[in-house]
Amino acid sequence: MDSNENNKPQEKAEGDSLARSDRGSGGLSRGSNTIAAPRPKVLEARVVRKTFEEGSQRVEVLRGVSLDVTAGEIVSLEGPSGSGKTTLLSIMGCILTPSAGEIHIGGQAISGNEQALRDARRKSIGFVFQQFNLFPALTARENIIYALGIKGHKGSKALVEADRVLDAVGLTDRKNFLPRDLSGGQKQRVAIARALAGSPDVILADEPTANLDSAVGVQILDLFRDLAKSENKGLIIVTHDPKVRRVADRVAGIADGLILPEPAAHAA
Amino acid sequence: MVSLARKNLFHDRIRFAITLAGVAFAVTLVLVQVGLFLGLLGKATVTIENSSADIWIVAKNTPNVDFGNPFPETVFLRARGVPGVERADNAIVQFVNIQLPSGATENALVYGLSDPAFWNLPWKVEAGRAEDLSRGYNLMMDRSASLRFGAFDVGDYREVGGRRFRIIGRSAEAESFTTTPIVFMDFGNAQSLLDQLRGNTTYVLVKVAPGFDPAEVAARLRPMFPFNNVHTRDEWAAASRGYWIESTGLGMSMGVTVFLGILVGVVIVAQTLYTSAVEHIREFGTVKAIGGSNWDIYKILGEQALIAAVLGFLLGAGASYAVRPAMASLHLTVLLTPQFSGIVFVGTVAMCLAAALFSFRRVALIDPALVFRG
Repeated sequence: MDSNENNKPQEKAEGDSLARSDRGSGGLSRGSNTIAAPRPKVLEARVVRKTFEEGSQRVEVLRGVSLDVTAGEIVSLEGPSGSGKTTLLSIMGCILTPSAGEIHIGGQAISGNEQALRDARRKSIGFVFQQFNLFPALTARENIIYALGIKGHKGSKALVEADRVLDAVGLTDRKNFLPRDLSGGQKQRVAIARALAGSPDVILADEPTANLDSAVGVQILDLFRDLAKSENKGLIIVTHDPKVRRVADRVAGIADGLILPEPAAHAA
Repeated sequence: MVSLARKNLFHDRIRFAITLAGVAFAVTLVLVQVGLFLGLLGKATVTIENSSADIWIVAKNTPNVDFGNPFPETVFLRARGVPGVERADNAIVQFVNIQLPSGATENALVYGLSDPAFWNLPWKVEAGRAEDLSRGYNLMMDRSASLRFGAFDVGDYREVGGRRFRIIGRSAEAESFTTTPIVFMDFGNAQSLLDQLRGNTTYVLVKVAPGFDPAEVAARLRPMFPFNNVHTRDEWAAASRGYWIESTGLGMSMGVTVFLGILVGVVIVAQTLYTSAVEHIREFGTVKAIGGSNWDIYKILGEQALIAAVLGFLLGAGASYAVRPAMASLHLTVLLTPQFSGIVFVGTVAMCLAAALFSFRRVALIDPALVFRG
């Protein structure tokens, strides 16, 4: 497949994406006819490509993907296994370096191999993982305080912030529990609290309900929705879980390394 | 900030206990072995260190204090005329046979002095008076002699060099490097024990007058005695120690022991830290994913190594100090000084940090994207 063919569906996809993005950014909020000021894009991927080399083979996982999220918006990124959604999340989270294209965080462009800049910007992003990835030796509160320390928040301010986010996720009474003494839903709440700590503009969540039963998954998604709106966070959720659509403002479908047009995304 | 290093370390108690045991073992091995070595070396120079002599004039190329060689007894008279010399006396140090009540014959290391009290030899007297040594065929035996010569009491008689001597006192702490018991007696009596000592001495002890530098006085003495060596106290002690270290291979033996101790410590600490790092690889990936750098992870491993070093050292040092009384009951001196302990502590920290370096390479390669894998 030549590069022109390669770009064709993407151009359409970008057009759809931008159109939807404009709609989102234009301030048409759900159930409201009021026109508000445009919301700022807190995270944006522009024509991102990613190629992995496996032995003598080169595998192009992302083929020119653009995606953005605005403050207070929830984007559900859906697609089959191997479609490139986690790779896109890793690149948008400054964990992986794109082979081409740019990432804009809070309006600041990050491209190429600026490792130090990516490391620094990663501190302004909250992450929620499928496996929770809590530190088993630390209590819920200590998990958050440690993450705050990594982000440069120390001392009494970190303690206050940890208590604030634990309260926000409803775990004040479990703050001194070790992860092993928490249920799956409680662990994910701690992970969400950790992601919220330090008030990042954007949170990236990778399959946050995959390891939870259905009822707890719904609770977690409701929590995501409430926090995204109340704290005005941009939120991208990578998921296979159709329940995520309940809380998403926008659904972006991805397949074979390309963002799908909107109808296809909704069908994905 | 919460210490993930400390929490992780104490979270896995069994592994931490193994790490501490490894460090403590290495510390104990080094402290006890080197302490024994230093204790032995201390015996090699104990008479030099405790006597009041500032300068020792010895026969040319005499290797150490136990192996005195004869030279003319008139040398001390010439030494007395040198400016800065307050006093110079002959002294004999010689191995002589001693007959035991059992009928067996052993070697004793005889120290013969004309004024034992002035030269502070013996320096610790438990029974009797050193001044009485010159009043007939008298001797003073060190209490450590009971190990080789059997029990003895003041007032007993022993045959030394074929002559019958009365034990008029008992000294302490006068133990030789070779474990040969030290016996103090009058210079004239010692000189009469062996034909080769007639008209000869084996040392001239020199006391430097107040206000004079022993090194300067020794420099004045050297040209006067071309057939002797003139040593200051420190020079003579260093030469005596050096002889035993080099000639017996003790230095190499101790070096190997210290090396093995450090090797055991490094291997155990490196192995446990590395295993721990591999098992916590997902956590370290999370640290990177939430904005941490390799340096943040190095700090975790470094802190763990430091904790292992400090606690392991305390355990090892505690054990080493605790075994000293038991070792002393076996007549083995484990010499542990604060300075030596400090050196071992610094070495322990360096050892543990070096061991942590093995894990640094592993965690530097962690791909933070692993946190997204299920």
